Amino acid sequence: MPLNLTLALRNLFHDRLRFVATTIGIVFSVVLVMVQMGLYLGFGRMVTTVIDHTSADLWVMRHGTKCFEDPSLLSHSKQTGAAATAGVAEVTPLVIGFSGWILPSGEITPVFVVGSDLQILKPWNLTEGTVRALSGSGTVAVDRSYFERLGVSGIGSKANIRGLPVSVAAVSEGIRSFTTTPYVFSDLSQARAYIGIPSTMVSYLLVKLRPGADLEHVRHDLQASLPDSEVLTPAEFNERSRSYWLLGTGAGAALFAGAILGIIVGVVIVAQTLYSSTKDHLDEFATLRAMGSSNGYIYSVIIYQAVLNAVIGFAFATLIGFSVVEFTRSGALPVLITPMLVLVMLVLTVVVCIAAALGAIFRVVRIDPVMVFTR
Amino acid sequence: MSEFIVEAKGVTKVLGHGAAQVYALKDISLSLRRGELTVLMGPSGSGKTTLLSVLGCMLTPTSGAVRVCGYATEGADAKVLAKLRKDHVGFVFQSYHLFPTLTAAENIQLALDIRGMHGEDARAKSLDVLEKVGLAHKSSELSARAEWGRATTGRDRARHCFQTVRYPRR
Repeated sequence: MPLNLTLALRNLFHDRLRFVATTIGIVFSVVLVMVQMGLYLGFGRMVTTVIDHTSADLWVMRHGTKCFEDPSLLSHSKQTGAAATAGVAEVTPLVIGFSGWILPSGEITPVFVVGSDLQILKPWNLTEGTVRALSGSGTVAVDRSYFERLGVSGIGSKANIRGLPVSVAAVSEGIRSFTTTPYVFSDLSQARAYIGIPSTMVSYLLVKLRPGADLEHVRHDLQASLPDSEVLTPAEFNERSRSYWLLGTGAGAALFAGAILGIIVGVVIVAQTLYSSTKDHLDEFATLRAMGSSNGYIYSVIIYQAVLNAVIGFAFATLIGFSVVEFTRSGALPVLITPMLVLVMLVLTVVVCIAAALGAIFRVVRIDPVMVFTR
Repeated sequence: MSEFIVEAKGVTKVLGHGAAQVYALKDISLSLRRGELTVLMGPSGSGKTTLLSVLGCMLTPTSGAVRVCGYATEGADAKVLAKLRKDHVGFVFQSYHLFPTLTAAENIQLALDIRGMHGEDARAKSLDVLEKVGLAHKSSELSARAEWGRATTGRDRARHCFQTVRYPRR
């Protein structure tokens, strides 16, 4: 091991109380940033969960639709025009909208109804019942996590939506809404009734292309034949929905503000610790300078200390971060920590700790080697 | 090549500015030969430390000329002075300034490390000089904990050790 690394390691562990305090500070800071960014990613994924589980190649929507939950409607008659476009294999109408779920007790809870042909878009992760069962009259699929809210206990449970009797025919696991309003899946015609959308209107048209069809070409043709509509790819619609909810509502800004706060806390803690550690060893660093050591050699000792602090703190923080992921897995807003987030956080932690070492480095730069004669 | 290893001619060092200006050194000239032992004596405040700092390439004179091993120091920047010190000057400091977190051998190796001697060579050299001052058996003790790090005689021996490895020309 290089001697400057050995020196950095020994200096770091020399004052154990200071080391523990610094590590706790870094862990606190990294966990805060990681959880905030994990919430951002988790929120982003939840916002687009239905789009992600739809196998359409293109989405047709009313011009100006801001997000998946947007109540804008299209004329159902556009389905015929869309289906006649070259390269289109299939066009499936989709209706979505908020409605009121009336519990047997008479209490009303809001639900978000999603209705389609149950082919291109159907409830996923079913643990009880089948998609086929949803073709029966008055049948719906709900998620297990909302049982209590909806006052149901499983297959066969009864309730009302807008005065229409419904029966639970399928149960999913993990289809959670970021709005905390439960998703209710049903077939198209029943969904229209539950939401109150006339049969002449739809929320979206889901387009499947023929094999080998050129997506951009078909999109262009669809766009030309469907005035007042927009034709987006799933990725574009994802991005639009995510931008609306995360940036348009300020939710993302709040999460980023928390992350920035975490970074500031980390910088202050590491900078303060490294500065005081360097100050404690000023005589030794001055001796090194007097002996003709290059500035780079002395900086390397301080930077090694910063990097070691960063890596040790990051390791503990990551363990805590993944515990938070497990803890929130079935919660209203799961924290999502991806391998890329872990990598970015590691780089960020190291960079921030090195930046925090600048104060200590500036202090060392000002050391006059003559001071070794006067102490 | 000059027979003198250190030469100073008309060295003056002025410290401070304006009314606080002080002549720490005034027109000092001296020449030191290789292998020669020279003792600098004088009352407190007479400028011994300033002269040693100028001759040791830590300070440059306000006027006059200093040559160390043939290299002139006037006009040299901090980087050049640091290289001169590293390559040509050894120090035995009044205080010990040992890194408390390093062992006796590692403290010596650190002095070698900045001069470009690393690994096994540096370790062998450090043990060799510790052997010479009778501290080889304490080579792996941390200077902050070791008895030699507290006892004056032990520290003096260690200090001599560091001087041995730091002083490039004997």
